[in-house]
Amino acid sequence: MKKKLLSIALALTMTVSLAACGGNKGGDGGGGADAEVPTIDKINADDYKDLKADIKILTDRTDIVDTVYKGYADQFHEKYPNITVTYEAITDYAESVTRRLTNGDWGDICFIPATVEKSELETYFTPMGDYETLNGIYNFVTEKTYNNTVYGIPNGGTAGGVAYNKKVWADAGITELPTTPEEFLKDLKLIKDKTDAVPLYTNFSAGWTMGAWNDYVGIASNADADYKNNKLLHQKDPFSKNDEMSGPYAVFYTLYEAVAQKLVEEDPASSDWESSKGMINNGEIATMVLGSWCVQQFKDSGDHPDDIGYFPFPITVAGKQAASSGGNYAYGINNKASGDNQIAAMLYVKWLLEESPIFADEGSIPALKGEPLPDSLAEFEGVELLSDNAPKEGEESLYDDLRNTAEVLSGDYPVCEVLEAALYDSKKLDDLMNEWNQKWTSAQESFGVEITE
Amino acid sequence: MEKQSFKKWIGTRKVQRRLVIFTFMFIPLLLLLLFTYIPFVKMIQFSFYNMKYLGDRIFVGLANYKEVFQRKEIFGSLFNSLYYMAGGVVQLALALFFATMLVFKVRGESVFKGAMFFPYLICGIAVGFIFKFFYARGAVLDTILQGLGMNLDNIPLWLQDQSINNISLAATSVWRYTGQNVILFLGAMMSVDTDLYEAASLDGANRWQQFRYIILPSIKSIIVLNIILCVSGCLSAFEPPYVITNGTMGTGTYFVIMNRIAHENQKVGTASAMAIVLLVLIIICTIGQKLFFKYVFDDGSSDESKAAVRKRKKAEAQRKAAQKKGGLV
Repeated sequence: MKKKLLSIALALTMTVSLAACGGNKGGDGGGGADAEVPTIDKINADDYKDLKADIKILTDRTDIVDTVYKGYADQFHEKYPNITVTYEAITDYAESVTRRLTNGDWGDICFIPATVEKSELETYFTPMGDYETLNGIYNFVTEKTYNNTVYGIPNGGTAGGVAYNKKVWADAGITELPTTPEEFLKDLKLIKDKTDAVPLYTNFSAGWTMGAWNDYVGIASNADADYKNNKLLHQKDPFSKNDEMSGPYAVFYTLYEAVAQKLVEEDPASSDWESSKGMINNGEIATMVLGSWCVQQFKDSGDHPDDIGYFPFPITVAGKQAASSGGNYAYGINNKASGDNQIAAMLYVKWLLEESPIFADEGSIPALKGEPLPDSLAEFEGVELLSDNAPKEGEESLYDDLRNTAEVLSGDYPVCEVLEAALYDSKKLDDLMNEWNQKWTSAQESFGVEITE
Repeated sequence: MEKQSFKKWIGTRKVQRRLVIFTFMFIPLLLLLLFTYIPFVKMIQFSFYNMKYLGDRIFVGLANYKEVFQRKEIFGSLFNSLYYMAGGVVQLALALFFATMLVFKVRGESVFKGAMFFPYLICGIAVGFIFKFFYARGAVLDTILQGLGMNLDNIPLWLQDQSINNISLAATSVWRYTGQNVILFLGAMMSVDTDLYEAASLDGANRWQQFRYIILPSIKSIIVLNIILCVSGCLSAFEPPYVITNGTMGTGTYFVIMNRIAHENQKVGTASAMAIVLLVLIIICTIGQKLFFKYVFDDGSSDESKAAVRKRKKAEAQRKAAQKKGGLV
């Protein structure tokens, strides 16, 4: 009996230590930097004509991995015959990649999942260059920068605006896109009167589609990159109305009025996201307020891809319009891979960002600064594209703390409240916004925030 | 020598029995402790802190409880549970009706049983999705009603109209759980001696009388159990409002609001306090029901209620007293 117990105990310890072995192996496997890997700005394709390598790149795009992405790999292979690129698509991307990163043997290039914190970037990824240099060349590099070193470059970016069906808008006789909430509402009214389409489809029942309205509070409603992470935190009564009709109030005013004037779908509670994509494509829906990533999906959902357009959120601040833009997933290179693989990976990322047609194909803002915007964002010509500036030191988590405590601007429900108030006519928008102001103020008090704005 | 005695000791029946009991109990108890009691104690602890999932925790005493009692929408949401309780009554009545039908010989009995039990086998989330489309504008329900000659303009918006949307949601849970109740009742009814029905029908009792005087008294305890389960289930209703409306349009039940506070707003402390308040409420309700049934039906375990027993005893005592008096005279 005793012997048996002992052997069980022994077996247990062995299993545990075996598991530990597995962990260790991942850590120091691969060999690391046996050759110096040049930065992405300095790397010169001609120096590596003879480099032989097989590299693997992880992606979340299961839908196009064998078609579009494979095409990029083939084009690259023609240029560098000694380097072979293979793609691996992962369905449950963010979670599985987070797990696989801890074991160094996952491949050579991946989209850096959001779960990797900035301070951990250097543990997993090869430095691509210093911030000052790369910030002059590429867009959105701030997002994956730590200690002035860039560890990942976003695969282009998206802008915040409004998706619309150009044909429906034209049928309603609208020739000029709206730039203020009032103009927008007037156009929606025209669409309702002159066409059979739903002027503004809220997608209320999906929930996250309502939360999307929060994204316009920062840059679109203030034309100020400092607003969301800095000014808003110290502002007294940020949800109050102003004469110019800008600021957070204007965003929710647009939604409230659209619902109150019955310019949205008849039964928001039974709206359906999947079928709404096809409906905007074939002209049953005129407008949806969502990030620009949706444009490609709307185009792919029916026979009229050319009808889908995208314009900036209609708020004008001091005579100009602005739209928030941010990076997509960023490419990161495995720093545990062999030196040759890291160099080959660097060459491929550089080629993707600078020469491949990927941004035109995906309709996103190109990675290279100064490149023209894709056709899908043509209406953003002349609109200032901004990204939120980083918060001040010591206030990194203050925005999240405030909105979670106030239960405003967080999650989907507060925006749903706006729609409900308008739908049942149960509350005036001004009263609701005053409640939000109070909640915001008491949250500011509980964190001892100084009111400076 | 010592080894010998250990062998002997371990071989004795008493030690062997304890060893078996201990080894068999160890893992279930460990799991119970690890996944039920430790988290529960932790939750009580969390309810006194201002905390998120990650990051610092600040001890705030009873502030979370104060917030729970001060916020209108939290206790207001318990009002929505009344719809589910009304649904529960309908559900029990329907289940009793179907079970009684099935306990007598019926053609295609197993087909009916299967059909009625089937909804219970579908997971709650899937039921939610089914009904989301069922109730959608111009979808299944509207089409059926239009087929019956109703005008679309007269049909309410099932999920949006606040006079009906909670009823729509409660109906989905009636649909789901009726079959399960039928099977439970049927099981209890099966144990009734069939001779009783025969005897009763010989005496000229009709089906209703058989149900009232034979079936109902013999399954009383299972009915009481179902009512108790139903009430605590209604207080914690979650799946229909969460999946179908996400608690919007005035359909948020206590659990949905708790989920929103815990996950969307990361207020783990407040949500824990809410959970504990609900636990206390459920305990109070259960004890209240227990006492009520004990008084009215004697817990369903005896044919006579406490009230009836008292009345009878009183009458007996009076009669005896009268007899005594009469004897003396």
